[in-house]
Amino acid sequence: MKKKLRAFIFEELIFVAEPEKFSDEDDLLEAGLDSMGIMRLIMFIEDNYSITLPDTEIEPDNVQTFKALEQWILRHKNA
Amino acid sequence: MSDCKQDILEPLNIADCFTLAMDEEIRQDGLAGSLCGFGLELSQSPDIEKLQQRIHHFSQQFPVALASLQQRGKRFYWCKRETPPQLFFQHNCTDNQAEHTFQKDTVKQLINHKQKREETTAIEFHLISNSTKTTFFIRWIHPFCDARGIDLILKYLSAEDTSAFTQGNTQPLVKQQLDKYSWWKKLTLLLKGKRYIASIDRFESIQPFKSEPPQHLNYSIYKLSAEQTAQVSKLARKQVGLTGTSLYYIGCLMRALDKLNPEQLGEAYCAPYAFNLRKQRALSPLIANHVCALFAQAPRELVQDRNKLFAHLKQQNRDVIRQQLDYAFLPLMWAGSWLSLAEYGKVLRLTSKQKERSSFWFSDIGTLDIPSSHFLGAEISSLFHLCQVTTPPGLAFLCCIYQKQLTLSYNFVEPLASPEQIEKLHQLVLAELLDES
Repeated sequence: MKKKLRAFIFEELIFVAEPEKFSDEDDLLEAGLDSMGIMRLIMFIEDNYSITLPDTEIEPDNVQTFKALEQWILRHKNA
Repeated sequence: MSDCKQDILEPLNIADCFTLAMDEEIRQDGLAGSLCGFGLELSQSPDIEKLQQRIHHFSQQFPVALASLQQRGKRFYWCKRETPPQLFFQHNCTDNQAEHTFQKDTVKQLINHKQKREETTAIEFHLISNSTKTTFFIRWIHPFCDARGIDLILKYLSAEDTSAFTQGNTQPLVKQQLDKYSWWKKLTLLLKGKRYIASIDRFESIQPFKSEPPQHLNYSIYKLSAEQTAQVSKLARKQVGLTGTSLYYIGCLMRALDKLNPEQLGEAYCAPYAFNLRKQRALSPLIANHVCALFAQAPRELVQDRNKLFAHLKQQNRDVIRQQLDYAFLPLMWAGSWLSLAEYGKVLRLTSKQKERSSFWFSDIGTLDIPSSHFLGAEISSLFHLCQVTTPPGLAFLCCIYQKQLTLSYNFVEPLASPEQIEKLHQLVLAELLDES
């Protein structure tokens, strides 16, 4: 899952000179993920994982890192 | 017009053509065309010799900076000039009387400077100094680049190593995005885009000001404090969530306009805005336009209810992205680029009832991260951006955050609006942004 998320974020949303060095705990918001990017990311997740992410959960805690994103998706996939 | 193609440096991409159509519309209004500006307020003069070297280096690496925008047949191109134009200018105040207005007067002259399109320099760099203040002002014609490009050009000028700033031989991002779609998908998107525009056009747009013959562009810049900016960000997150900061600015302006002129005719406020196709933090491409367009629209009755308005704008934005209506503009822009400028301008501006679609123009370039707050030895105290706008609507509202402070730039056409009216408007916008209304 993380591989797919990483590919989408680094190919479509933010430029990172060395993506392989960007860890699962590094801050995506600091790296430039902006409001439009978050919106696109959410649509990507909903389409690819067949889940609906509630607006009320679109918080920095859930989108700040790859680790947080994965946990957020898993919570909804397993619900 | 010449048929000679030997002097062609670059064709315009489809997003450049979009801005060129607006250039023509603005010129038809008797204004200076689609000139844009970006200003850095500096604590002192930067290293001028270094600055000149960097500008020279920039023009060598990106020769379109020295080119002339010309029509060849039906299409437009950046063409080589016989004599390269001057790109760097210094303006020094010599009149003590005019000291306090020197910067603004000079910027106003530059942004309102009328020239034939072919004669207009793609980009110019101006250092404007009086005894206490220095402004570094970049003026460019919109088909040359977009606002993100200027951010990158500033970084280029202040970088010790410019090797990361390559335009490369890659296709424009608008073309790259379009090439991802099959012929059939392009057609589907085009039809989706047409239906989207038709749905926007169900409402007659409210114009912000009375109708009068335009004379020139004026501007007012307001910088919020770091505390105010933090409060605005907190409220934006509360109202539109993490995904809609720009929508918060748009909604606040809609509400402020409605309070300023509640009697203006029309049914809804409608704002076009561009979104960038570059990846965030990417250092290229610098020049040309790499944007696509979207609309934010809200009927007046929703504008009058703060919570309903933001819920509506947020849902509208979500629907647009979910249905790929944002990218639906790309095939529309491609189709429009084959029209004459006059036809394309009408399509972009007017509804089927021949009314202006936009209530105001909007741009949010987000948080700028120009490094270390220094520009070739001078500290940057603030910055602002400007753009010419068609009449109607005669108003462009531009936002950016620098050093944790939100800067609001109101660009307005006189005499449709006056600085006094804009001051009133800003007070209303501020009250909305801070939820003190």
